[in-house]
Amino acid sequence: MTGAATLALVLALLLFVVGVAVLTAMARDALAAVVVFGAYSLGLAILWLVFRAPDVGLTEAAVGAGVTTSLLLVALGRTGWAGLGPSFSLSFDARSLVGPVAVVLALSLTLPALSPVGDPEAPGFGGASAYYLANAGSLGIENVVTAVLVVYRGFDTFGEVAVVFAAGVATLVVLGREVP
Amino acid sequence: MQRPESPVVTKTVRVVSPFVLTFGLFTLLHGTKSVGGGFQGGVVVATVVVALGFGFGVDETRRALDRQTLVGTAAAGVVLFGLVAVGSLLRGAPVLDLTAYPVATVYVVELVEVGIGVTVAGVVTTLFFQLGRASDE
Amino acid sequence: MSDPLQFGLGAGYGFGGRLPYLVAFVLVGIGLAVLVDDDDLVKKVLGLGIFQTGVFLFFVASAVRVGGRAPLLSAPGPYVNPLPQVLILTAIVVGVSVTGVALALVVRLHEECGTLDVEAIREDVRD
Repeated sequence: MTGAATLALVLALLLFVVGVAVLTAMARDALAAVVVFGAYSLGLAILWLVFRAPDVGLTEAAVGAGVTTSLLLVALGRTGWAGLGPSFSLSFDARSLVGPVAVVLALSLTLPALSPVGDPEAPGFGGASAYYLANAGSLGIENVVTAVLVVYRGFDTFGEVAVVFAAGVATLVVLGREVP
Repeated sequence: MQRPESPVVTKTVRVVSPFVLTFGLFTLLHGTKSVGGGFQGGVVVATVVVALGFGFGVDETRRALDRQTLVGTAAAGVVLFGLVAVGSLLRGAPVLDLTAYPVATVYVVELVEVGIGVTVAGVVTTLFFQLGRASDE
Repeated sequence: MSDPLQFGLGAGYGFGGRLPYLVAFVLVGIGLAVLVDDDDLVKKVLGLGIFQTGVFLFFVASAVRVGGRAPLLSAPGPYVNPLPQVLILTAIVVGVSVTGVALALVVRLHEECGTLDVEAIREDVRD
């Protein structure tokens, strides 16, 4: 893809993602909010693909648009909860928005210190990343993300698997009954 | 939550599930050569069970996969990862040094990926069944 | 995936090429607002999800490189930074675990109190 086409795609996707996030915030019907959140996940998954992160895109599509949406739908079906209103509305309490707006403004103050997106001279590209990219091929692994996950940073992945298992156990503790 | 099953959903799920399951296992086992790996493959396999639950009813699907088996396989995945991690101590190398085994590193990585995928699939399926169970059981 | 990512460095993006970072911060703000302000417990879980994905956008945007390819060694040339992608992969899976446990707690609350409105539950607990 040419530069202008990629730029237009990225801008359109960013606009779509922000718009759908605002729609999710506005939805008062729980089912509508869940469905709109599924569309938000899909837009994000396409954005990861355009940013050349295929593993993250596949995981986001499977997890966000697949698992999270279906878990929410199943929970809504079990409780029969319909939400607090029939449709979308933009009413909010101005006092409770002071905190999030302050957080966004404080974070935006860091923008001039960040290097532009796509800068090859950014500080993240040297050091460990250069080592991983150079040496993953000698292990016989072509997917550098898998090599980093399992071989070079296996301890974090082990912690993550333990967290996933702990979440399963926690759900069983909260919702389990004695009969199987 | 007794609702008549939609024949469109049931038929579609019945046709599509074997292919999605095969794709999930392919993604799990080809993590070293192409996009994929343990997490992605495990989530896709769990999605097959979720689709079956939506198509045929959560309670029928849950009776086919009992809880002990699911939690046992999820725990087995964690234990497998732990054994591979600690096993390199037997070779005199540091913990989690996967290059210390006599086989090529790719096979050890695939073993670890299978462990991760099994745990993720088991836990996501357990989450789905626990959330979807009718409240009078 | 195997053709290089070409876009002008800083050209066309707002804020000198830092627009994805600003969008990430805005998503964090929206998620935080939904988490704090909304009275529906299911909407709070959704707000947490939006908050997390804002942080993911920040990291994945920081990994991008002009002219870089996806980090698969079957194609040559410069690659995007794989390390933030690894971090975000872990974070997504931990995020779905947190969402699962949060939904389990929400379902349990509904069993006890019959509603998912935070104000009604507060009234219920008060007496």
